[in-house]
Amino acid sequence: MGLGDLLPGGGTQKSEGGLGMFGAGSPTFLTTKIDEVINWGRRNSLWPMPFGTACCAIEMMAAAASNFDLARFGMERMSFSPRQADVLICAGRVPYKLAPVLRRIWDQMPQPKWCVSMGACASSGGVFDVYSMVQGIDTIVPVDVYVPGCPPRPEGLIYGLMMIQEKIRQESLGRHFEHRAEDPALVAAPRADEEEIVGLTGPFGNSTHQEKLADGRIVRSPDPNDDVPV
Amino acid sequence: MGGLDAVERGPLPSDASATSDSGSAAGESDHPSVAALRAKFGDAIQGDTVHAGDQTVVWIDPARSLEILTWLKDDPGQKYDMMSDVTGVDYGGGRPVEVVYQMFSTTHKRALRIRCKLPLDALEIDSVVGLWVGANWLEREVYDLFGVTFKGHPDLRRILMPQDYAEGHPLRKDFPLRGRFSRAEQTRRALAQDVERFYGPEELVEGGAPQQVAARSEPAEGEG
Amino acid sequence: MAERTIELNVSRNPEMGVDGLPKASPLAPIDIAEPDLGTEEMLINIGPQHPATHGVLRLICELDGETVVDVTPDIGFLHSSFEKLGEYRTWNQIVTLTDRMDYLAPLIYNCAYVMSVEKLMGIEVTERCKVVRVIIMEMDRIFGHLLWLGTTAIDVGAFTPFLYAFQQREKIYKLHESLTGARITTSATRVGGMMADLPEGWIDQLNDFLDHFPNTLGEIDRLLTGNQIHIGRTQGVGVIGADEAINYGLTGANLRAAGVDYDVRKDQPYYDYETYDFEVPIGEHGDCYDRYLCRMEEMRQSVRILRQAIDRLPGGPINVQDPNISLPSKTDCMSDMESMIHHFKLITDGIPAPEGDCYMAIEGSKGELGMYVVAEEGGTKPVRWRIRPPSFVNLSAIPKLARGHLVSDLIMINASLDIVLGEIDR
Ligand code: SF4
Repeated sequence: MGLGDLLPGGGTQKSEGGLGMFGAGSPTFLTTKIDEVINWGRRNSLWPMPFGTACCAIEMMAAAASNFDLARFGMERMSFSPRQADVLICAGRVPYKLAPVLRRIWDQMPQPKWCVSMGACASSGGVFDVYSMVQGIDTIVPVDVYVPGCPPRPEGLIYGLMMIQEKIRQESLGRHFEHRAEDPALVAAPRADEEEIVGLTGPFGNSTHQEKLADGRIVRSPDPNDDVPV
Repeated sequence: MGGLDAVERGPLPSDASATSDSGSAAGESDHPSVAALRAKFGDAIQGDTVHAGDQTVVWIDPARSLEILTWLKDDPGQKYDMMSDVTGVDYGGGRPVEVVYQMFSTTHKRALRIRCKLPLDALEIDSVVGLWVGANWLEREVYDLFGVTFKGHPDLRRILMPQDYAEGHPLRKDFPLRGRFSRAEQTRRALAQDVERFYGPEELVEGGAPQQVAARSEPAEGEG
Repeated sequence: MAERTIELNVSRNPEMGVDGLPKASPLAPIDIAEPDLGTEEMLINIGPQHPATHGVLRLICELDGETVVDVTPDIGFLHSSFEKLGEYRTWNQIVTLTDRMDYLAPLIYNCAYVMSVEKLMGIEVTERCKVVRVIIMEMDRIFGHLLWLGTTAIDVGAFTPFLYAFQQREKIYKLHESLTGARITTSATRVGGMMADLPEGWIDQLNDFLDHFPNTLGEIDRLLTGNQIHIGRTQGVGVIGADEAINYGLTGANLRAAGVDYDVRKDQPYYDYETYDFEVPIGEHGDCYDRYLCRMEEMRQSVRILRQAIDRLPGGPINVQDPNISLPSKTDCMSDMESMIHHFKLITDGIPAPEGDCYMAIEGSKGELGMYVVAEEGGTKPVRWRIRPPSFVNLSAIPKLARGHLVSDLIMINASLDIVLGEIDR
């Protein structure tokens, strides 16, 4: 969508000479809402920070390569430095050992910022319902868009990013501080509180099911700290 | 098993040398190293068998493992110069944890598998890093995941799990799949870790205070 | 069979000594006696989130000026506990985990795992299945090497080879997709056969790829092999000798570049590799440049193997015709009571294994890929499933390779080892 769509009259009436690119009666000014202009600018110049760890990262590379070409959506520049990035694309598995790294990258990104969780592993732990894996990065950082798939196809990632663009389109500058305020106390802390984490990461069916299947040869000692029913 | 009679052979004459025996039936090994080992070390060789058709496995006494492995590497008739893999196996149910060495001789083009049974109350064995440098990380991994201590290892720290991982040794059978702590506790501990702490300049020196690090991860045993 | 190995005969930089060390290259550190100013070593940290480490690898470097005094790799940032998870999965369910480990050449991992299980159980797959597996493994060797080539070229500052390589990779993605339905996470094999036979027209698609691929490879070859910048960045960098390389447990192109003639396909042949006519490239200097040459040549040899395999592809069933191992066809399941019972038993219980253990090594794209499975009598799940990770062992040699080089060379050395973190950390 071009700037023309934002303008009264749809930018269809071209004035005759000089600077008059935009219509609506006058060649030198346009009337619109400031939100529209700012959001239009923001959403078409997103710089993604690719936090790629595993298989999904390969599909992210494919999305950025010539066949699918993320650059068409204003994401020309992959920003490998979090301080210059707008969207965190978390693609792949995130073990607990990597969790502080992910959190630090999120903390380093300036506002306004968004986060895409790409793939089953980043969104929920995927098949890896195990001791070492974060069960969904939403326990650590706030996520705006989840892209399902294992791995999602590049089209899927692009659709997810377009949903981010849609989300930006609906934001209002008037509520900027309300939306974007960050509590310094929460730096490097989990996003969710304990109860929410336990709720979000409960056994997913798969692993407990496997546990029942185990024919008694795998011996497990019951543990009070363990949230899996033995 | 097999049901191979029903298999329609392709247009190419099948290679007569392709092994098709029924595998896995344990039997006497005709591997030249086994006889040599028995002749040389006698009762330090606790047993041998053939698994999976043609793979020779030898069980040796862990107390004499370093001596035997040194001989296997250096003796001109053996020359197992490549340590492909060092790993552990835990059968659970209080049975011993086994350390498995998979070796290959690039001179004689032979493979051999050595296994050592370590009782659960004495998970210790001599390190072979002095013989094969490539065993360095492999032994660290066994230490990390099974809790086997390799005596004489230059740098025995955890390798895959965080240095201050407190839940134990994950590949042991009594370790639950989802870990010992609740997910909330795991998340809290993960975000509280300071990844820079373990790499002060003194710890970069090989052999730099491994005992200290081991001590840090020791509480693992007590908890849960 | 033709002669077993070929020497890589590319003219070396005349400034390079026979041992591969530069005599006096403008890019090599110059040895000038400096007054001792009492400097201190500096510690810098690369990674775990850094585009040049090819994944979530962390390298802690101790530097003297710009020279690397020591490197300590820190791994485990992608530890997904595959081996633990495998103990809770039946033999066939584990196949889905294997391709998530090395997502650069997934089919090789699928094959390696089922080969190990089949050997443990004493199953011999059909002739057609063997040839099909050779085809998909060689295809993925090219697939893996292409990614290595593209990303490594970026590390030395060449962007064009990356685009060329990815263009070819996209074709293999298509082949993956029409064979298995997925681009990366293929899960194509099953114990005793394959998920499905080759779809119609697949071989034509592969032939089409084989017709065009050597041209692209030749173009990349022209861009890099004689390129002075590439030569300056790679020759004499990260040298390791033959004995040391064996001692470090290096395998694959990293070992062969050091002049050791060890290729699992030749030394412990599986799937009749001894009857294919191909050669194993052997380097002599053991530096990054020889590793590059070895991998380039391996891709050409893979094309040769692929052509031979396509020629000899026999007909017949792809799965072992044993109802206790292979799933019956869907139509049989719906119409035949016995097939339905077999289907039910296979899905709920799995395939029982005999007691024992089995270590099956194959030549993966990164080196010797071993799959070690331990089973108990009648177990439908492994007691232990272990992957002998080639890039894990290869990476452990990086302190040795990088000492004395510049930081920028460290990036090149790391790239030339061809690592994939999914498999290092497992
Ligand atoms: S979601 Fe699937 S493809 Fe993505 S990282 Fe996880 S296992 Fe790999």
